[in-house]
Amino acid sequence: MNPGVYETVEQWIPPKSRVLDLGTGDGAFLERLIRTRQISGEGVEKDAALVTRCMERGLVVHQGDISDGLDQHADGAFDFVLLLGTFQELVQPAEIVHEAFRVGRQVIISFSNFGHYRVRLQLLFRGRTPVTPSLPAPWFRTRNLHFLSVADFEWFCRDSGIREIRRAFFNRKSAVHYFPNLRAETAVCLLSSNGQPKA
Amino acid sequence: MASNQANLPGDLQDQLVAGHQSPLGVTQTTTVALPGFITQSGFKFEAVEVNYQTLGTLAPARDNAILICHGLSGNAHVAGTNAQTGRPGWWDFHVGPGKAIDTDKFFVIATNALGGCNGTTGPGSINPHTGSPFGADFPRVTIGDMVQLQAKLLDHLGIETLFAVVGASMGGMQALAWAVDFPGRLRVCVPIATCTAHNAMQIAFNEIGRCAIVTDPDWNGGNYSEARFPAHGLAVARMVGHVTYLSELAMARKFGRRRQSEAADARQFSIESYLHHQGNSFVKRFDPNSYLCLTRAIDEFDLFEGAAAEEILGRVRARFLVISFTSDWLYPPAQSRELVRLLKRAGLAASYINLDSEYGHDSFLIENPPFADVLRHFLNGEHGLKAPKPATLAGGGNLK
Repeated sequence: MNPGVYETVEQWIPPKSRVLDLGTGDGAFLERLIRTRQISGEGVEKDAALVTRCMERGLVVHQGDISDGLDQHADGAFDFVLLLGTFQELVQPAEIVHEAFRVGRQVIISFSNFGHYRVRLQLLFRGRTPVTPSLPAPWFRTRNLHFLSVADFEWFCRDSGIREIRRAFFNRKSAVHYFPNLRAETAVCLLSSNGQPKA
Repeated sequence: MASNQANLPGDLQDQLVAGHQSPLGVTQTTTVALPGFITQSGFKFEAVEVNYQTLGTLAPARDNAILICHGLSGNAHVAGTNAQTGRPGWWDFHVGPGKAIDTDKFFVIATNALGGCNGTTGPGSINPHTGSPFGADFPRVTIGDMVQLQAKLLDHLGIETLFAVVGASMGGMQALAWAVDFPGRLRVCVPIATCTAHNAMQIAFNEIGRCAIVTDPDWNGGNYSEARFPAHGLAVARMVGHVTYLSELAMARKFGRRRQSEAADARQFSIESYLHHQGNSFVKRFDPNSYLCLTRAIDEFDLFEGAAAEEILGRVRARFLVISFTSDWLYPPAQSRELVRLLKRAGLAASYINLDSEYGHDSFLIENPPFADVLRHFLNGEHGLKAPKPATLAGGGNLK
């Protein structure tokens, strides 16, 4: 992922926030937020070896899948819930986002944009599920379950009563400011629920 | 043990593992008599003896002490070779120089639990009022009593605050009781393969063991002698217990349907022979009254005792690492996950890992590198955080 994604998220999170990082990996970014933003936070990670790396960093970490990680927490336990890079891998993204808004006030999601022109061209000219630098695995080996675009994500937000407060887009080299659905490989969004009643 | 089992993982408590040598060499335990101890049930001991072991050095800042709490059949001899038995301590795989609980870095304290039979006052101890062993007259003790006694030992040793309390199974219950009963005296709590209260199945297995003991013809109401000792009952109790510590897969791999001998008159299954061996060797080192006393304490343990979990956990300040094992059906991972959920919902910092291991409840007793890594990295990571800094991580009750 473009390091700009992490820099952007870091800027969006005010100092001393409470943060739950879903799919925290080896905990490097969570540790960075603790150091630079003095947040209090914890991670959720499925892979035991990565969980061990988080512990080495002195992080609070929960081994489990994302819905189990969310289920551990009381309503409103966090200011921010992060879902960076794993959104398109979720079996039931709508349920997870709903649950994330139970636990957190705001949710930050990043995902790979399937609307990127390189993807469109491959689909058009080769007639096959695209393999691109940002979607490097073939369809039978990718962990991605959903292939969504920036426009699709906007649709999802409208449909779910979620407001996109801030957005940023990146390709491998830099930030993307114009025509993101065509030019961005990665999108990151800061979301707030429209105060819809909790189901 | 049969040689065909030598390449399979084993524990140091009940079997010698081929080639295992303790890097600590011979280590000792010490017994100290602490005056005036009253159990939760109100029984007054004029003095209680505590058998304990220390390893490593207490740092000048006194911030590196780790208390290790043993399971049902453990003892204070946690690591190093026991000169009397020639055997390594029960957790020698994980405690020692450079090990998961690194004695070059941490000052380790291990005690034999109250009610046990390895040097700490228990049913086998002499009742000063009668001059003979307490036997069946030994008072009921609780996990809370065990913890109170450990705290008294720490007072005696001049240790105010522990860096960590680490315990598995019954020891995990003690670790949890420490966090609730002495919130200011520990920074980190590591309950392993344990629960906040036994469920019906866990009580049931203990009751089978107790039944085997008290129906032994030599039981004599608990006032047995060495000559007439309920060895058979105790052995059966251990056999049942041992099955619950293993997993179906581990037993299938280790024994399958193999026979111990091909001789036509002795075609015993290997698993039968193994259980008999476990039962018989246990009889030599354990007291039936202690077995009753400790299993009762475990069954009666309830961290919340009917109160709301948030209320009990509201006073807790420790940071937690909860560990379970995928194949542990005696203390299933769901119990640990529920504990973590309660801790988190009480605003406590709790890490959790469910380690993939096929060796059942015994997974913490055997050589188990992923488990050792988790323990090592967590303890080192937490110790690196230095004194509690509520502002940096989700500590204290500020996650509400």
